[in-house]
Amino acid sequence: MITDVREERLLVTSDSHVGSLFCDARRGLIRFLEYARAHGYNVCINGDGIDTEYTSLRAFTAETSAFLRDLRRVTSDMTVYYTVGNHDILLEHYVGDWGRLHLVPFLNVSSGSSRIRIEHGHLYDPSMMTDPNLHHGIRQFLCALCRMYPPGYFWHEKYQRVRFRYFRRLLGQDRHALASAATRDISPAFLDAAEELANRGFDAVVFGHTHYPGEFPINRNRARYLNTGSWFRDPHYVTIDNGAVTLRPIPAALR
Amino acid sequence: MSERYLDERTFATGEVVFAEGDTTSEMFIVQEGTVALTKTVAGREIFVGTQERGDFFGEMSLLTGQPRQATCVAMAPTRLLAIRSGELLMKLRRDPTLALEMVAQMSRRMAYLEEQLVRMSEHQLENRHEIKKAIARAEFHNDDDSQR
Repeated sequence: MITDVREERLLVTSDSHVGSLFCDARRGLIRFLEYARAHGYNVCINGDGIDTEYTSLRAFTAETSAFLRDLRRVTSDMTVYYTVGNHDILLEHYVGDWGRLHLVPFLNVSSGSSRIRIEHGHLYDPSMMTDPNLHHGIRQFLCALCRMYPPGYFWHEKYQRVRFRYFRRLLGQDRHALASAATRDISPAFLDAAEELANRGFDAVVFGHTHYPGEFPINRNRARYLNTGSWFRDPHYVTIDNGAVTLRPIPAALR
Repeated sequence: MSERYLDERTFATGEVVFAEGDTTSEMFIVQEGTVALTKTVAGREIFVGTQERGDFFGEMSLLTGQPRQATCVAMAPTRLLAIRSGELLMKLRRDPTLALEMVAQMSRRMAYLEEQLVRMSEHQLENRHEIKKAIARAEFHNDDDSQR
């Protein structure tokens, strides 16, 4: 398992949830990989690339078998790193090198003179840390509800956003006090985790997991936190180009 | 916030972080710069290696309580994160993947040391073989002389 790599040109995206009943990102993700290959980039899928939670066996096998076939074709002449997230946590059993596909728990990238940490970020989710069994139970329940009423997933997402934006302030949990639009959807736990990681000499920390794309300076402006959002809506990607790290929305043509 | 319990230290080029035999027990993570580790053997200073951004060192003293086994000197303006024993557990709770990275880095160091050990053993074996051959040659010449 290699987690320290040098990559001068790398694209990072996350949370495509291929196989999920509520997200149809398979073709988009393959278009994204083809775009990266055409422009000489390697790619990191930063967790939850496939979804083993919000799915049915039929949807999962149909979607993932097509995805793996396309992935094998695309990765014939490019390297793909896949960091394991919480919706694809089964892949932890397969961590290792599979030809040019590298399954890793996280990735430390050296590029130019920069060091970048890429990790899905679920390890720092307060609800998963404090009571993982309860968290899993609630997700299973929500998944069953969403199967009966698929738009329920989007109501769940909206609830999360309201919780992050307003409830936290009411409860006095928001150390950023909703000071900027960039941080209002970011749980402080993820910023704290990113700061903790950046203290180990990283210039940028790239997470997924929260489904909210954004960028925020951390560690007294010495480092940056970036999040690539999700393919459910408003997917973003990070380009790493000889040490320069930039967050961009995925063009509509690639979605 | 993470800064509450963290101890950042800066060192100028050539400044000693710790010296061999010191009883300090922090481990360090290199945030910026480079440090060199050297060890004195039979009065001679031997270069052990360098540690760069993201690397850690000094964990032996922290984990075993032994005095420093090497001297550490900053090779450039360097900023280090110092972690004391109580803080290591806190750090691991807040940054759990550090444990995996520490084990990975220690495994790499162990693999390197094993390789060095094998090389040294091979070198010793070669030397022993050469010595045996030289002794055999000398004995052969001695026998030859006595026969004459």
